[in-house]
Amino acid sequence: MAMNPMEQFEVKPLVPLHVGHYDVSFTNQSLWMCVVVAASIGFFLYASSSRSLVPTRAQSMAEIAYEFVGNMIQSASGEAGLRFFPFVFTIFMFVLLSNFFGLLPGSFTVTSQIAVTFALAAMVILTVIVTGFARHGLGFLMLFVPKAPWYLLILLVPIEIISFLTRPISLSVRLFANMLAGHTMLKVFAGFVIALGATAISPKPWFAPISIAPAFLIVAITALEILVAFLQAYVFAILTCIYLNEALHLHDHH
Amino acid sequence: MPAPEPDDLRALGQKLDQATAKETRKPVEAPSAMGIAFRFATELGAALFVGAGLGWLLDKFLHTSPIFLIVLFCLGAAAGIRNVMRAAAELNARAAEAAKNDKEQ
Repeated sequence: MAMNPMEQFEVKPLVPLHVGHYDVSFTNQSLWMCVVVAASIGFFLYASSSRSLVPTRAQSMAEIAYEFVGNMIQSASGEAGLRFFPFVFTIFMFVLLSNFFGLLPGSFTVTSQIAVTFALAAMVILTVIVTGFARHGLGFLMLFVPKAPWYLLILLVPIEIISFLTRPISLSVRLFANMLAGHTMLKVFAGFVIALGATAISPKPWFAPISIAPAFLIVAITALEILVAFLQAYVFAILTCIYLNEALHLHDHH
Repeated sequence: MPAPEPDDLRALGQKLDQATAKETRKPVEAPSAMGIAFRFATELGAALFVGAGLGWLLDKFLHTSPIFLIVLFCLGAAAGIRNVMRAAAELNARAAEAAKNDKEQ
């Protein structure tokens, strides 16, 4: 069968289920989301079970993750942002583990579906809006009013509102597009390994380096993808912190 | 039982302090050039998309086609540039902080 680099993103029902007119089948997507959540919970339960003063390897990994996210929140949104630690930490771990699990051969990348990333981004923005109104009441709307003469505000307020509406979209599209592009690239280069590997049996000796080149390249690209997997989880989490910071402190950062 | 040498312990303590200071102050991964480019591209593109989409929807409900589409597309472009400027300022601030930390070490 010809290889289709986009086939890996197909959502296939594993257990078909229908409720009324809605298709709520348990898909490979649902399965891998469960795997990610179970792995995350399992790891942290295991890592925190010993609670030794001198941490074991697992415990120290959990502590590093905890401190990493803690520092990130503190630097981006200050002490007040630490109340959102569970939220940001959950999102960070979910995205990070989804990205990493997606790199396993034969697995499914949960974050390569815009439905998932947009749901995450919508959750972040709703949290920001609720926090903003809870803390500042209607004063939160001052977020859309930059410091400028009144005649410019006619133009600037709509711009700020559009700019705010942009956030869930740029947040979700960035993660989704990175994962989609990375995994497509991996599959395409993996196809080259086979296609050019076949030329190794060619009688012409100068073909040999060409035939093994893609195999080395895909090792390098896989390494790059591991970096991207981490970086995108980090970007998603830090932007969450930055948006929360604006909801918490309004114009303080100007 | 011989007492532990205080000088050795103090030296070790200092070394540990230095090591932890270096670790905790280490800036979190400066984004790669491609990461920055991707960030700017999505910020700009998403704003255009939102502006045009909003305008299209307003036109559809108010039957004013194509006034809002044109106006909000332009505003969306402005918002996109605003987003990119904001993202650049944020990345610059982070880079400056990282440079400051490097100098202190």
